[in-house]
Amino acid sequence: AASRTTYRWGRAGGGGAAGPGPAGADTVSAPAQGGGSAVIDMENMDDTSGSSFEDMGEMHQRMKEEEEEAEGEAGAGEEEDGEFLGMKGLRGQLGRQVADQMWQVGKRQASRAFSLYANIDILRPYFDVEPVQVRARLLESMIPVKMINFPQKIAGELYGPLMLVFTLVAILLHGMKTSDTIIREGTLMGTAIGTCFGYWLGVSSFMYFLAYLCNAQITMVQMLSLLGYGLFGHCITLLVTYNIHFHSLFYIFWLVVGGLSTLRMVAVLVSRTVGHTQRLILCGTLAALHMLFLLYLHFAYHKVVEGILDTLEGPNMPPFQRVARDIPVVSNAVLNTTAKAIALTL
Amino acid sequence: RPYGGYEYPQQGGFVPPDMMQQQQPYTGQIYQPTQGYTPASAQSFYGSNFEDEPPLLEELGINFDHIWQKTLTVLHPLKVADGNIMNETDLAGPMVFCLAFGATLLLAGKIQFGYVYGISAIGCLGMFCLLNLMSMTGVSFGCVASVLGYCLLPMILLSSFAILFSLQGVMGIVLTAGIIGWCSFSASKIFISALAMEGQQLLVAYPCALLYGVFALISIF
Repeated sequence: AASRTTYRWGRAGGGGAAGPGPAGADTVSAPAQGGGSAVIDMENMDDTSGSSFEDMGEMHQRMKEEEEEAEGEAGAGEEEDGEFLGMKGLRGQLGRQVADQMWQVGKRQASRAFSLYANIDILRPYFDVEPVQVRARLLESMIPVKMINFPQKIAGELYGPLMLVFTLVAILLHGMKTSDTIIREGTLMGTAIGTCFGYWLGVSSFMYFLAYLCNAQITMVQMLSLLGYGLFGHCITLLVTYNIHFHSLFYIFWLVVGGLSTLRMVAVLVSRTVGHTQRLILCGTLAALHMLFLLYLHFAYHKVVEGILDTLEGPNMPPFQRVARDIPVVSNAVLNTTAKAIALTL
Repeated sequence: RPYGGYEYPQQGGFVPPDMMQQQQPYTGQIYQPTQGYTPASAQSFYGSNFEDEPPLLEELGINFDHIWQKTLTVLHPLKVADGNIMNETDLAGPMVFCLAFGATLLLAGKIQFGYVYGISAIGCLGMFCLLNLMSMTGVSFGCVASVLGYCLLPMILLSSFAILFSLQGVMGIVLTAGIIGWCSFSASKIFISALAMEGQQLLVAYPCALLYGVFALISIF
């Protein structure tokens, strides 16, 4: 598994003649090595049907290495001759060197891009979970721990938090769509993703920085994980209150559900920090940010619906006072439209 | 391994062994399309003779029988998926399905081809990263795009339903939830069997459900 993601051209040179690697038996490179490797049939170069990026690079790499091998011995002699030959030899040499350099630069850039991709493998251990574990952690995130005298264990896992952030994005989108929110500078999707990921990554980094200042025992991945699972309460609250529009219901959910998940995060942080002032700083900041974020999400993304509801169903508004008068059976609408039509013709 | 030095275990599944012996006339490199199943991929044979050229569909790698098989696999959620069917990455089917989805949306008065393609691309990229991180063997982007595209088929049913009836009532919500579940269940079933990730079907199904949920949002509103 470790060699799974090494690509041929990620390796430094010398791979051509040595064969493809430990995976072994390889019938294609055998004819290439055995039979006059410097001769390459150019006709097949243009056959690009179904070939992918890696195929092109693969082919160029092999061509290059074979050329290098073939010209390796003659190379020294040629260069000397080139100097003596003057302009003509130099120009041929120069052209080849320029092409060579361009290829090297391109290859280096692509290798850098590939090694960037390979860096994703660093995150691999954090995604190794089972559904049972995820469910258990979700439920635990709503239960505040009681023991704060010794450090509580935090699961350093990124699958659950990532899925919760995406769920929050989906809920926000749903809320924006049902309330017909119009975003002028940007898109709905971009706003939702920016808000949720910005909160998760930004507040995690900020809390990690504060934890570093306050000497708390927590790593960045653990902080991301803790805050991510804390968003579970937010998801539940928003899911319910975006669909059932009662102010008091929202405040109850905000206090109870939001409060429980905040208490859990705070308790875990407290168990990992020493010193009263430091504990106060860390926990106060986290609690404030977490609760205020829920408040912001609720009020920023469906106030249109609130406005409509207030005018439609406000039980505290006094009823209109109507004065009874004699009006004909014909409805008001017909009367109004005929009046307007007459006014227009006049 | 037929591809010299090409360490893509997930691609390696299905290349006919007869292709190798047929390469003798060349000493250079032969390109095989990584998704070549049909014998037409050994294109070294089809020189410049007009009569020897393969039919157009074969040359393009569009195999209607396979497209039909994969479609049936998606449509029967309880049918066990064969892990080998996703070895060839075929993007013709998914392209057709995306176009059909956009067309049914168009019939409902929503001109949102751009959103469909944008969300498909971003969603495929996200699933590609996630599956590479979660599976033991890697997965190629073409395979992910192909599976997600094929499993978009039930969503087309939803958007055709939305042409005639509004989906904003209770029945609409129930139907939408059912279709999203169907799509994500099929997609996760195929991914699980192709990547041999036992016991993680729910973990793969959930991100798929989020992605198809966004498509459903486009259909509803």
